[in-house]
Amino acid sequence: MKNTIFRPEIHRRIAYAWAIGVIALLIALMVVLPNSRLNSSVMALLPKEHIENIPPALEEGFNQRLDRQLVWLISPLQPDDQAPALWWQQQLKQMTAFSSTSGQMSPDHQQQWGKFFFDNRYSLLDSATRQRLTGDASSQSDWILSQIYSPFSGISAKELSNDPLLTIRSAQMTQQQNNRTLQLNNGWLTSKDPQGRVWYLLHGELKTSSYDIQSARQTVEKLDQLKQQIAQKWPGTQVLQRGTLFYSDYASQQAQQDISTIGSVSGLGIIILILLVFRSLKPLWLTLLSLTIGAISGSVAVFILFGEVHVMTLVMSTSVVGISIDYALHYLTERMVHGEDESALISMKKLFPALLLAVISSSIAYLLLFIAPFPGLQQLAIFAAAGLTGAFLTVICWYPWLSRRLPVRKTLRLGFIHRWLFYWQNGKAFRIGIPLIALLISVAGLVQLKTDDDIRKLQTLPPEFQQQERQIAALTGQHSDQKWFMVYGESPEQTLQRLESLESALDSAKQSGWLNGYRLLPFPSEQQQKKNIALIRQQAPEIIHRLQQAGINTTQPSFEQTTIKPQDWLNSVASEGWRLLWLSLDNGQSAVLVPVEGVTNPAALKQIASNHSGTHWVDKHTEFSTLFSVYRQHLTTLLGISVLIIGALFLWRFGLKQGLRCIIPTILSLGIALAVLSLSGQSLNLFSLLALILVLGIGIDYTLFFSNPAGTPSTSMLSILLAALTTELSFGLLAASGTQAISGFGLVLSGGIFAAFILSPLALPERTNPGKIS
Amino acid sequence: MNCFFRLLASLITGTSLLLSQAASAVTLDDLQQRFSHQPVLRAQFEQQRTISGMSQPLKSNGNVLIAQAHGLIWNQTKPFPLVLMMNESRMEQRMAGQPPQVITADSNPQMFRFNSILTALFHADRKALEQNFNLQFSDLGKGSWQLVLQPSTTPLDKLFRQITLNGSEFLNEIQINDLQGDSTHIRFFDQTTAPTVLTPDEEHHFSS
Repeated sequence: MKNTIFRPEIHRRIAYAWAIGVIALLIALMVVLPNSRLNSSVMALLPKEHIENIPPALEEGFNQRLDRQLVWLISPLQPDDQAPALWWQQQLKQMTAFSSTSGQMSPDHQQQWGKFFFDNRYSLLDSATRQRLTGDASSQSDWILSQIYSPFSGISAKELSNDPLLTIRSAQMTQQQNNRTLQLNNGWLTSKDPQGRVWYLLHGELKTSSYDIQSARQTVEKLDQLKQQIAQKWPGTQVLQRGTLFYSDYASQQAQQDISTIGSVSGLGIIILILLVFRSLKPLWLTLLSLTIGAISGSVAVFILFGEVHVMTLVMSTSVVGISIDYALHYLTERMVHGEDESALISMKKLFPALLLAVISSSIAYLLLFIAPFPGLQQLAIFAAAGLTGAFLTVICWYPWLSRRLPVRKTLRLGFIHRWLFYWQNGKAFRIGIPLIALLISVAGLVQLKTDDDIRKLQTLPPEFQQQERQIAALTGQHSDQKWFMVYGESPEQTLQRLESLESALDSAKQSGWLNGYRLLPFPSEQQQKKNIALIRQQAPEIIHRLQQAGINTTQPSFEQTTIKPQDWLNSVASEGWRLLWLSLDNGQSAVLVPVEGVTNPAALKQIASNHSGTHWVDKHTEFSTLFSVYRQHLTTLLGISVLIIGALFLWRFGLKQGLRCIIPTILSLGIALAVLSLSGQSLNLFSLLALILVLGIGIDYTLFFSNPAGTPSTSMLSILLAALTTELSFGLLAASGTQAISGFGLVLSGGIFAAFILSPLALPERTNPGKIS
Repeated sequence: MNCFFRLLASLITGTSLLLSQAASAVTLDDLQQRFSHQPVLRAQFEQQRTISGMSQPLKSNGNVLIAQAHGLIWNQTKPFPLVLMMNESRMEQRMAGQPPQVITADSNPQMFRFNSILTALFHADRKALEQNFNLQFSDLGKGSWQLVLQPSTTPLDKLFRQITLNGSEFLNEIQINDLQGDSTHIRFFDQTTAPTVLTPDEEHHFSS
């Protein structure tokens, strides 16, 4: 097989086949590209199937909806000046990016609100009234009397005749109690900060996903313009904003910056390197060709499998370039040195086993990333494996033909390589000294190594974002730390009933101090509504009787009320501010979110959820950090086992002495990689561990080249030098990324590869005569 | 509404202090310096509410306690017992056979919106008072006086037309006229400033 494919006529056919394959790939790319998207959410990097039992459509629906929400708080210089907020509201309305916006409620709106509550006052009884009615009828009548007698309650004759049982008054009091910080003021929801500034709340919902990079950019740009304009029109006005949009736009900007700087600097470096070594433009076009085809193969595979690519994948994929270029360099180096001695196909035949081994081992190292269920890394694994294969096939199939007339530089001056290898083979100072220094550095670094699995540390947000986030949370009482209960059911009714059964548990959790507050959808199930009406109908005669006894003129109200369907409530103004928390699918499956804040005992809340059917405790941040920690530990074990197996294999294959020489550089390169991470002040997380796996995979190649008895050390050294340099050019620059996860990944990889490159000659068998080397 | 209890409490302590010490014509500014000295005031009250459309006025009575360190207790005894406790951070309404209805500054800042103003009133902070009311203070002679408060800010002005306080040595009367045509008249009597420490019973009312 190996021999037959390098027969000219067969090789030509294979080359044509690959040409057809590349054309097919191009067509596939054109088909899938328009429907693919670039994802920039950190959350999208995390495992998807983490909430068991909840219908995925519900969870997806909520995530999508929450991603589209935007909130602004606008504070004019004068507390009563509504003009800036009104102007902002008008500007938002004119923007096509939003499917809905809200700010000031019109008087008409407020009237509808009042009417809805009046019309449904008995079915929508608040919990306090219900509690009073469930006891003796006197509880409610006493409460009504207390309101009437209070000189400051402001009860009028009109209110008493319209609603003698004061159900609306009670409902409003309960609602005010639940809304901790926001107040209704001239139709606006406003909040006051400790400095006395008044903040007007506005809200908008995007038409498209926040992760749609192009439209996100446009929207953010437009909003930035509006902020400048508002500052000009009303100097001193402050604007705060919150929304996934801003994070996602920031992340994609950052990634684009990373890709363009890292890409161009490493590209330039590689170009210069190739020109220096080959003194010809031809190898440049050739490497570019194999890289492009590799990138196309990787993209097509990722788009077909995932339908999208994550920006983080894209940034990290630039590192794949550094590895796939090795295949081209190996062949081109071979041709440069032996171009006159042998035919192009013979050279390829000679190199084929090594290249095949390289593509397999690198692909396997990358595919190991698939073990962790993180979409971004899985995408990277697929991208790398497909990309490397594409580049490999291009080299194998087309290079022998394309590299004809490549300038031959037989007299390449390799003096420094010879000296370097000579010292490694003969100098005790080198053979013992350098590994010893590496060991010391490793130990120094490992002693200080810290682990940190907090996912927030992975994304470095500008302090300005964090400041706004804190301010908005303080002003609105609504935190964005995504801690909530999710209650769901097969029908809206079942969902609401389950929600009702959760209420008392939440109350006692609050009393126990496990949480500070929660927001419970103020809409009862049909079952509860019926109970409410029945309850008040039953107690009303006695209440009215007692009021009359106390000298209050009232008459029995009529109870002709029907129950309200969730949909009617959702369509009414009454559900304003609550609709986000309710989701109903076409098949009836529904879910409600109950956001909580000030959580002190998440374990107890989780327990509450497991005691209630159809209820889940969702704490994404903690869940993901735990998950990160679990997978970090898994990978550590996996890595340890791999090192042990490789060590055992080497000892078995090469014997004790040579086996140790082969395994020591690998182990030390892992140690140095970790030391670089810890000495640069970063802590170990899942990403740095993944980089460590790649260090293991790539580093072993280097020692294997040297321990191969058939290989010529100086040519191996030149190839390894070129390979290490190109790898450093791409990985080393990842360390400069603004995204902490990527820079940690880059640090570990470049440190590890550098150490592997320096230490790999240890695997050379001892020799005495430097002249025999080449 | 509890805000107005605070207001009331402040006015009662404030004005009584004022008048116990004042021999000559007084101004609000004088109060500012004197108010912090009276630890406890106790009084009986008699209230009459007139609600339009109601054939006869609603009468109630009881006693009131204002302790500077603790807050205010409005203890209605007739026609039914009702205890209202208020301090800077919470308001509690207790009725026989019912769980206490608690509103805290935390859970309902809106209801405590004027808290700072009213605390200021405790200390006769004229500036804070004037931010929310138009004040008209008149010396009626022979130690009698009248303070008319006209709300100047929302939502006070949406609820009240005018609040009038009358007194001599102590605060004797409050007349509240609201915009819907209803009115409340409260008369205080048997005012006393001794003893200056709370009885265990009174302490119990403040503890929650």
